[in-house]
Amino acid sequence: MATTVIMPKQGQSVESCIITEWNKKKGDKVTKGEVLFAYETDKASFEEEVPVDGYLLEIFFQAGDEVPVLTNVCVIGAEGESISGITAAAAPEEKAETKTPAAEKSVQPAAFSAEVKQPIASSEQQGSEKFVSPRARNLAQKEGVIIENIKGSGPKGRIIEQDVRASIESSPKITPLAKKMAEAEQLPPVTEGSGLGGSVTAKDLTAVNPVYSSDFEIKKISNMRKLIAKAMFNSLQNSAQLTHHLGADARRMLELRKKVKKANENGNPANITLNDMVCYAVVKALLKFPQANTHFLGDSMKYFNKVHLGVAVDTDRGLMVPVIKNADDLSIKGLSNQLKEMAAMCRKGNINPELLSSEAASFTVSNLGNYGVEIFTPVINLPQSAILGVNTIVPRPKDLGDGAYGFVPYIGLSLTYNHQALDGGEATRFLKQIAIEIENLEFEI
Amino acid sequence: MSTNFDLAIIGAGPAGYVAAERAGKKGLKVVLFEKRELGGVCLNEGCIPTKALLYAAKLYDHALEGDKYGVSAKEVSYDFSKMMSRKQKVVKKLVGGVGAAMKEYHVEVIKGLATITGRSSAGITISAGDQEYLATNLMICTGSESLIPPIPGLQNTPNEILITSREILQLTEVPKSLVIIGGGVIGMEFGSFFNSMGTKVTIVEMLDEILTGMDREMSVMLRQIYTKKGITFNLSSKVTEVKGNEVIYLKDGQTQSVTGDKILVSIGRRPVTKGFGLENLGVELNRGGIKVDEKMRTNIPNVYAAGDITGFSLLAHTASREGEVIVNNLTGRNDRMRYNAIPGVVYTNPEFSGVGLTEEAAKQKNIDIKVVKLPMAYAGRFMIENEGGNGLCKVIVGSKYEEVLGVHMLGNPSSEMIYGAAMAIEMEMTLKEMQEVVFPHPTVSEIFKETVFAFK
Repeated sequence: MATTVIMPKQGQSVESCIITEWNKKKGDKVTKGEVLFAYETDKASFEEEVPVDGYLLEIFFQAGDEVPVLTNVCVIGAEGESISGITAAAAPEEKAETKTPAAEKSVQPAAFSAEVKQPIASSEQQGSEKFVSPRARNLAQKEGVIIENIKGSGPKGRIIEQDVRASIESSPKITPLAKKMAEAEQLPPVTEGSGLGGSVTAKDLTAVNPVYSSDFEIKKISNMRKLIAKAMFNSLQNSAQLTHHLGADARRMLELRKKVKKANENGNPANITLNDMVCYAVVKALLKFPQANTHFLGDSMKYFNKVHLGVAVDTDRGLMVPVIKNADDLSIKGLSNQLKEMAAMCRKGNINPELLSSEAASFTVSNLGNYGVEIFTPVINLPQSAILGVNTIVPRPKDLGDGAYGFVPYIGLSLTYNHQALDGGEATRFLKQIAIEIENLEFEI
Repeated sequence: MSTNFDLAIIGAGPAGYVAAERAGKKGLKVVLFEKRELGGVCLNEGCIPTKALLYAAKLYDHALEGDKYGVSAKEVSYDFSKMMSRKQKVVKKLVGGVGAAMKEYHVEVIKGLATITGRSSAGITISAGDQEYLATNLMICTGSESLIPPIPGLQNTPNEILITSREILQLTEVPKSLVIIGGGVIGMEFGSFFNSMGTKVTIVEMLDEILTGMDREMSVMLRQIYTKKGITFNLSSKVTEVKGNEVIYLKDGQTQSVTGDKILVSIGRRPVTKGFGLENLGVELNRGGIKVDEKMRTNIPNVYAAGDITGFSLLAHTASREGEVIVNNLTGRNDRMRYNAIPGVVYTNPEFSGVGLTEEAAKQKNIDIKVVKLPMAYAGRFMIENEGGNGLCKVIVGSKYEEVLGVHMLGNPSSEMIYGAAMAIEMEMTLKEMQEVVFPHPTVSEIFKETVFAFK
């Protein structure tokens, strides 16, 4: 019995997802647990696994398509099994509502039809059905022709061998180099060539023309980029933000870090980094300055009893800010583990979108110290009232007493705050408190 | 106002007359303006007459060296005026041929200076003589002229001493000595010809090698061949002054000079953009030439440009192809100009031909390449016909996919076989496809096949 795979609902607010990549082709034999396709929401990307062993009988959406959640994406079943009657139509809604928002189980039994002889029906986006003769399908497969693009000339629009042949003849010739390149680099097919007699050249595949035409390329931005763009622009448009910079003596931190490393060598697994320590100090400071652990809501302020710490993570897909809920309940080890886990989930793309919402965090830390940044002005993740930028450690001259001066490592701290929510005095005192916490860190390794 | 034309072409050189012929053949109503002779510089004072002279010089050279092949000719001599008149005969015949083609395809040829007077919704207006012409499309191919650099004294040098490629073709006697300023293609070809004629030739080149843009290794080889034949080369020499017969130049910080009965200036050519009302259209220029896109369109709708007027790839065959691109697009065939496979030939003896990427350009553009070169003598036919001669064939391929990117050859008759390499580049053939091509045996062209097989 054929099984449909639906687009899972990733979080309550997600209405549709975009398929980014198919790892399987129609007709492929698939094994349970293999990655079937990848998709992304506004904030994160996910991989959908094959739910049951079988053959991928039909694919309703292609990479790049935006698919409403709970809609049928593809069908898996026995080889040659008829799937007529199964379309891309949405699965019954009530089934989904009983489930938890994240990581939905996406398998459900499909409607079964007894007609076995019926050729495989492929449903177009318009909903019309296409029939393909076996000979046409064989030829298309052999020549690498995309059958969906062919107009059928047989009875009821059935695609016959002749149609595939005509499509091959009318498509542009491709040069040997372009063919090799397209195969080796998996480049998408091109319909218009600029070479001899309109043949497709290597240049056409990459759309870079060195002699003439434009020296740039306009690309659509990803949903995630759109979201970041909107959030950042909103932040600067809708708040009165400014940044204070202050340095903290980092000797204590570096000493602790040395101890951690040594403990690691002796088999202690807790690898507490400088970033973990800064975050730990921030949590402590926030508990002492509740006015910084707030959301500014225009006519009111939301004071959090707990610290929900947002941490900026740089990923291939763009900036992500996952939140560590109740960070004030965690030991430094617990915080360290959570930070690493969150970052890994963001980079892998399997983080729960709920944890990426700017509403979820009460305060955010953005650390660019690793990259050697000495000063920057982080942008507030509204409606949060402030954000701390962490800079690199630089040696600074310090009066060591008795007229002796020496160089002391200092870590730079840049606090951007919304002047609507906080005044300069309290922001500075809060920033100073973070420095004090850093300079007086205490924890058991 | 004369009747409405589909296409007006200003300039009947290899861009203009070829486009006129192609457009006429496809049924367009074409008017072609030319203030001098049909065929332009190429036919009248460039490609064709020089090759006529160079062939005569080659025959003379062969007669002198026939002994190497067991053929001796006594008292070999040449008749310069006869050479010149034969050259003129060839030119006249070919110009006549162009005229006949224009008639055959019903192209209206207007002899006289054309001036673009304006552009309206009806089309572009051009006046010539006391007539006005209206055309839907305009193709500008007014070509280029010799560039005379602002060297002190050059303006005052008398016309019988200072000559360009135009006047040198009208000489009535062979000069005893000739100083050529500029060791490019034109300089090298005239240098070659007058060297054969027994003239003492000195080439003064500002750059550190002759024929920049061509394969450097072969440029060096060619220079060495001609040094042996008696041409004096002064490289990295900047001409600072011309005083009568004397050319004064700065070399290695030292002022030196050389005198010649004639001084040929061949440092380059510049597009002709003035004197025909171009300014009335508002066409955008780029580095002195008309700016065009890959379909040879200018910034003004329905106005196209082709040939030397665009300011780069100043070659007759480039111009013709550019003209064809315009006509193809006007007649419904989507076509684009490509410049990566345009052959270039220096008609010295030996001929020096190249197409596509050079090693030097690859280095500059940071393209990963593989290079294999073989002496021309690897082709038996070359050995047969070039006793004691040497040459080189170099094939350049991309290192990843082994596609043919450039082929360069020094040796006769490379000019006749370089097109094969141009096809390979145009078709983006890789070594694998090239190796399946059958070459006739025995021919010099087999060197290309040999080199293709020499890649590891």
